[in-house]
Amino acid sequence: MTVAVTDFRELARDLLPQGASYEACIACGLCASGCPASGLFGMDPRRFIRMAALGLNEELSSTPWIWTCTQCKRCMYVCPMGIDASVLVGAARATWPMDKKPSGIVRSCQAQMRDDSTSAMGLRTEDFLEIIEETAEEIRDDDSRFAKLQIPIDKKNAQFIINQNSREPAVEPEELGPLWKIFDYVGADWTYSSKGWAAENFCMFTGDDDVWKSMVETRVDAINELKAKTWINTECGHSFYTMWKGIEKFGLEADFEAGNLISYYAQWIRQGKLPVNSDWNRDNLKFTVQDPCQLIRKSSGDPVADDLRFVAKILVGEDNFIDMQPCRSANYCCGGGGGFLQAGMTSERRAYGKRKYDQIITTKADYVLTPCHNCHSQMEDIGKFYGGDYKVVHFWTLICLSLGILGPNERKYLGPDLAGTGDE
Amino acid sequence: MKRGYRHIKTRLAVIGAGIAGFAASIFALEKAIPVVQLGHTGAIAYTTGYLDLFGVSEAGIIDDPWAGLEQLRRTEPEHPLSRLANEDILTAFEIFTTVLSKMGIGYTVPGSENLHGLLPAGLIKPTLSVPATMLSGIKAMRRNEKTLIIDFEGLAGFSALEFKANFAGKWDQISTHKMSFPGLPSGQAYAETMARAIEVADTRQQLAEKIIQAVNGEKYVGLPAMLGMHEPDEVHADLERLTGLEIFEIPTIPPAVPGIRLREMFERVLPARGLVLEPQLKVKHVDFADQKVHLFLSGPLEDLEVEAETVILATGRFLSGGLNAGRNGLDENLLDLHVSQPPTRNDWYRLDYMDRRGHAINRAGIETDIDMRPLDVNGRPYSDRLFAAGAILAHQDWVRQRCGAGLAIATAYQAVEAAGRFLHG
Ligand SMILES: Cc1cc2nc3c(=O)[nH]c(=O)nc-3n(C[C@H](O)[C@H](O)[C@H](O)COP(=O)(O)OP(=O)(O)OC[C@H]3O[C@@H](n4cnc5c(N)ncnc54)[C@H](O)[C@@H]3O)c2cc1C
Ligand code: SF4
Ligand code: SF4
Repeated sequence: MTVAVTDFRELARDLLPQGASYEACIACGLCASGCPASGLFGMDPRRFIRMAALGLNEELSSTPWIWTCTQCKRCMYVCPMGIDASVLVGAARATWPMDKKPSGIVRSCQAQMRDDSTSAMGLRTEDFLEIIEETAEEIRDDDSRFAKLQIPIDKKNAQFIINQNSREPAVEPEELGPLWKIFDYVGADWTYSSKGWAAENFCMFTGDDDVWKSMVETRVDAINELKAKTWINTECGHSFYTMWKGIEKFGLEADFEAGNLISYYAQWIRQGKLPVNSDWNRDNLKFTVQDPCQLIRKSSGDPVADDLRFVAKILVGEDNFIDMQPCRSANYCCGGGGGFLQAGMTSERRAYGKRKYDQIITTKADYVLTPCHNCHSQMEDIGKFYGGDYKVVHFWTLICLSLGILGPNERKYLGPDLAGTGDE
Repeated sequence: MKRGYRHIKTRLAVIGAGIAGFAASIFALEKAIPVVQLGHTGAIAYTTGYLDLFGVSEAGIIDDPWAGLEQLRRTEPEHPLSRLANEDILTAFEIFTTVLSKMGIGYTVPGSENLHGLLPAGLIKPTLSVPATMLSGIKAMRRNEKTLIIDFEGLAGFSALEFKANFAGKWDQISTHKMSFPGLPSGQAYAETMARAIEVADTRQQLAEKIIQAVNGEKYVGLPAMLGMHEPDEVHADLERLTGLEIFEIPTIPPAVPGIRLREMFERVLPARGLVLEPQLKVKHVDFADQKVHLFLSGPLEDLEVEAETVILATGRFLSGGLNAGRNGLDENLLDLHVSQPPTRNDWYRLDYMDRRGHAINRAGIETDIDMRPLDVNGRPYSDRLFAAGAILAHQDWVRQRCGAGLAIATAYQAVEAAGRFLHG
C-alpha cells in the first residue's frame, strides 16, 4: 500500500513534551517485551521508535501494525526514558488515506458525525429519548420500588451529567436500568443531555484530529450549556480519555470537572448510601477485575484502581477477589481498545488478547468485572475463542444484585449460577 | 477543564523508584514511619536480580566483601560504603532480603562470602545475595555437575551453546538443548512473555514434559530467567516437582525478567503494606518553605501536592534522571544541589576507555554528611530534612566496583535511620 510519507522525527519534535525525544531510546526493548502487539506484522514498539529515530519514514507510514497498537501507553509506563510509542502511532494513523483505514473505525466515526447525538452506533437523539422513556416505563411498571423513577433530560445545574454509551440504548436497553436504579437509590442529582449524549469516540482512533475535536466540542458545549458540575461516563474507558484529552489538547473551555462512576460507587458505599455486601455470593464464586487502560494508566492512575478493588471486594467478598498480574497502572491492555475491536483484524486482535486470556485463566476466576465496554466485549470474545469458561460482568449488575433490585431481564451477563440470586 | 487536586501529608517522602527508593520505603515501613514514594521506573528494570555488595576492587575480584570493605575504608574513605559500619550494612541487607523473601521473591541470606552468580555470557558475578530460583546453578557450577542448559527459539540474547563455550574449562559437564516455548507463535520471543505464560498451569505442564524429554542423565537444568513473574518461587518449585530435576535460572540481558519482577512486586505488595506509591509521576518541584517540605507533581487529570516532614532523594544518576550532563558540567535535576564533579569536561574520561581505574565522571554525584544529608558547596547541609541515597551519591563507581544494590540498600538504610532520628527528635 502506498500512503503519503511523513517525517516522523520532525513530527515527534512537535508532539512530545519538552525535553522528551525518541532519540533518548537506548534500545533496551522493555517496551517491546511488555507490549501485547509485539510481533504482529513483524513490528513492535522498540522497532517503531528506532525506525522513527533513524528516519525510516516510508516503513512507518505503511505498516498496518499501527492499527493493532491499542495506544494503551504501557510502553511508556515501563520505559525508563518514559518514551511513548502511542503518540507516534496516532500520527502514523493520520497519514493513511481515509479509504485505506480500517473501515470499521472509519464508519464508527462517520456515524458519530452524522448528527449531534455523537453516537457511534448511529442512534439518533429522538430514538434515544424514546428508548429511554419506554425502558423507564417498563421498570416503573415491573418494580413498585421504582414506580416514580424519572430519567432527567437537559436538567440544568445538575451535579452529574451522564454521557451514555450507545450500546445499551441501541442493542440492549434492559442494561440501562441498573445504573438508573443506582442513581435513584442514592438520590443522585443527575441528567442526560439531548445533545452530544453518547459516550464513545472512535474519531480519535482514526487519527483525524479535526473530527476528534468536533466530537468533543459538541459534548463540551452541551455540558457547559446545562451547567452541570461533574461530567461522568457510563462504565466506559476510551470515551473518558478521548474527552478529557481532547479538551486539553484542543484547548477547549470546559466549565466542569471529570468524574468516574467507580469512584462515586466507592464514595456512596463509604457514605452508607449504597449498602452493598457479598451475602448473595453464597457459592463463593471468584472474581477478578480488569483495569481499563484508558481509565487507569492513561487517566486517573492507581487511586481509581484502588477504588475499583474497594468496590469489587465489598461486592464479592474479600476472599473471593483475585487480582490479575500485572494489574493497576501496569495492567495489560486486553486488546479491545484503540479501535482494534472495530478494525476487523480478528486474528491479530485475538493474538494480542492471548496475554489477557492467560492472566484471567491464572486467577481461576468465574467472573471478570470491568467498567469498560470495549474490555467487556474483547474479554468475552477471547474467552470464547481460547476456551475459557469465565463470564464478564458490569459493576452495576453486581451492585443491583447485592441490593436485591436487579430485575429478571437485567441478568444477561450473569451465568446460570446467579440467575435467580438476589431476586426477592 | 477543572483539574483535580490531591494533597497528601506524610512524615517521609521518598523520591525515586529504584532499589534505593524502594529499600528506603521498606526500611521506613519496618520502623512504622508513614511514607509516600514517588517516581517513574528507572534502572531497576535492568538489574540481573543479583544484589551486589562489593565485588571488584582495583586489585581484582573480591571473595570476602566484608574484608574488602575494610580495605576500601583505607583506600577510599569518601566512598559512601566506607562511611558505614559493616554491621549496619549487614543489618540493612538482612532486613531487605528477608522482606523481599516474605513479599514473594525468595533471596539467599547474605553471608560472609560473595557468591559466584552466573551470567549469560558465561561470566561470573561476585555478589552477596541471589534469588532462590538462581541458587542451584551456582552450586552446579562449583561442583562441576552434569547440567543441561536450555535456550528457546526466538529468544535473543541467550544462547546455551555460547554459555557452554564460555564456561569451557571451568564447567565441563554442560550439554545444551534448544526448544520452542509451548504455545508461543514463531518469531521473536521475550523472556517476559514466557514468564507470564508459564504461570498458567497447563503451559507449565507442557514445558515440564519438553524438559523431561530433553534431559539425558543430567540432574541439573539451567533456563534463561523466565520462571514466572509474580510467583517465581512457586513456579520454580512446581517445575522441579513436575520434572524431578534441580532447575535454576540464569539472568538474561535486558529486557529481562528479574528487574521487571522486582519492580512489579514492589508496586504490588508495598501499597498493601501501607506505602502510598505514585508509580507514574515524577516530582517536578520541591519547596523547602517553613517547617515542611512541599513536593509538586502533576498527573493527567490532577495536581498532586505532598507535604512531608522529611525527604529522601534517590533519583539515581544520568539514566534515571537524577543527574544531568550539560554543556557546563553536571547538575542535579530537582533541587540544583551541589554536584561533586571533575573540574572540566575534559576530565570526565581518561584517555583509555578501558582503563582499569575507571573514569572520573562515574564518581560524580551528591556529597553528604554522615547522616546522608546533601551538602552545599561549603560543606553545610542543604536542609535538616533532606537525605540522599543510592547511585546519586558521589565518590563511588558502582558499575566498576559491582556494588549497585549494596550501595542503594545500605545508604537507604542510613538515610531512613537519620530521618527517623530527626522525626523522633
Ligand atoms: C543494566 C544494569 C544492570 C544492573 N545490574 C545490577 C546487578 O546485577 N546487581 C546490582 O546489585 N545492581 C545492578 N544494577 C544497579 C541497580 O539497578 C541500581 O542502578 C543501583 O542499585 C542504583 O539504584 P538507585 O535506586 O540509586 O537508582 P536508580 O535505579 O537509577 O533509580 C532512580 C529512580 O529515581 C527516579 N527519578 C528520577 N528523577 C525523579 C523525579 N524527579 N521524581 C521522581 N522520581 C525520579 C527514576 O525514575 C528512578 O526510578 C544494574 C543497573 C543497570 C543499569
Ligand atoms: S523501553 Fe524505552 S528506552 Fe527501551 S527500547 Fe523501548 S523506548 Fe527505547
Ligand atoms: S501503546 Fe500499548 S499496544 Fe501500543 S506500542 Fe505501546 S504498549 Fe504496545
